[in-house]
Amino acid sequence: MAVRVNINKLCKSFGSLNVLDNWDLNISAGERLVLLGPSGSGKTTFLRLIAGLESPDSGQISLNTDKIAFVFQEPRLIPWRNVSDNLLFVRPDADIEGILAQLRLSGFEDYFPGQLSGGMQQRVNLARALVTEPDLLILDEAFSSLDLPVKLEIMQDLLEHWQDKHFTMVSVTHDLKEALCLADRILILSPRPAHIAYDFGVTLGEQRHFSDPELLRLESQLLGLLLQK
Amino acid sequence: MKTVLYWLSGIIVFVFLWQLLALLFGWNIILPPPLEVFQTMGNLCLNPDTGIAALQTAWKVLLSLALVLIIGIALGLLLGMFKALYEMMRPIIMVIQAVPVISWLTLVIFAWGIGWRGPVFITFLALLPMALLTTVSGVRNLDHKLLEMARVYRVPTSRVFRDIYIGSLLPFVAAIIDVSIGQAWKVILVTEYLCGNSGLGVKILSARYAVDSTGVYAYTLLAVILGIVTERLVKLAMGRVSAKWQSV
Repeated sequence: MAVRVNINKLCKSFGSLNVLDNWDLNISAGERLVLLGPSGSGKTTFLRLIAGLESPDSGQISLNTDKIAFVFQEPRLIPWRNVSDNLLFVRPDADIEGILAQLRLSGFEDYFPGQLSGGMQQRVNLARALVTEPDLLILDEAFSSLDLPVKLEIMQDLLEHWQDKHFTMVSVTHDLKEALCLADRILILSPRPAHIAYDFGVTLGEQRHFSDPELLRLESQLLGLLLQK
Repeated sequence: MKTVLYWLSGIIVFVFLWQLLALLFGWNIILPPPLEVFQTMGNLCLNPDTGIAALQTAWKVLLSLALVLIIGIALGLLLGMFKALYEMMRPIIMVIQAVPVISWLTLVIFAWGIGWRGPVFITFLALLPMALLTTVSGVRNLDHKLLEMARVYRVPTSRVFRDIYIGSLLPFVAAIIDVSIGQAWKVILVTEYLCGNSGLGVKILSARYAVDSTGVYAYTLLAVILGIVTERLVKLAMGRVSAKWQSV
């Protein structure tokens, strides 16, 4: 079940470093939200706050679920456990065959992380998140280290899964095309202390491709906004 | 096969040098010739008393090792997880490390007299700080990103302990065993010699009283061989256990 996230007057600082300043934001159930912004603008801090890995200084985050999955930038797989066991670690009663097949990991069940390429490790990272059947999926630059063909494949697999389950998705990226492929709403953040500079609705259809002319037009529009702020 | 050949040639060179020095100096009381020692050792091995003494030493070694591993690792885990507790316990660990063995020896003789408890207790105290501090380093070297991942997915503590803690600590436990087992043999032999009533240490003491230096060498050689065999066996068992947590 997708979950709605309400954020009210959220503030977070680390010592004297003011990172998030008075954020108000509503994320609808089933929405695919992408955050774009300069490095150090607090995007990851925001993700960590909604995942419960950090506590806010003030303000509230309300979401009615504890079924949260986080796809970290680095795979964070247990090196001495094979692919199956890494998935079963987060959900021991899961039927992992389906998700492994969907993410093109069938046949790799007994492989250890060290035997897999970076792309495959990231697939396992995503599979581990999806096997928990999350209500809220958080992705922190999850595909940034992947080459383009692998990135496109994994994103396609993720979107297919989303079309089945319609969970809420919040992600951070620096790649404008990736943002436009994944999102139906993009927030552009200001430099630190971050506030929402632009709230950008993505009006593309469900079938998106990096070379789609409309996507390329929106990309240059986004780039303009990023450079403006 | 090549390694075995290297081993054998090393042993042959060692025995040859020993024989040469024994012949050159002719100090039978300090350096008896190897052949004589091997002969005495052969005779000792045929004597059931020697087997019993070796077993008495071996069980003390294994008991001390088991105590060090169980208590050292459990306590090390706690100290690694709770920094305040570590700081609180640090002076005690330093005291245990600094107290001379001879003082422990006197205390255990007062407490238990001559027997098996003294050697086991002193060996345990001698090895505990190393086991404790190695485990603390292991806990501090845990991959916090893995723990954070487990937190996001709300994985129960028991599973985190089984799948992350044990796997991460295994190389440290292997290091503890590696260092402890050789040390345990040495300390047990010394303490048997000084406050024991059974085992190879006592046999060495008897040989000393009889001014039988060949006997001292023979018992020592036996202790060395047993030490190596125990070490190999424990490592083999350890290898089987750690294979479950082995990454490729």
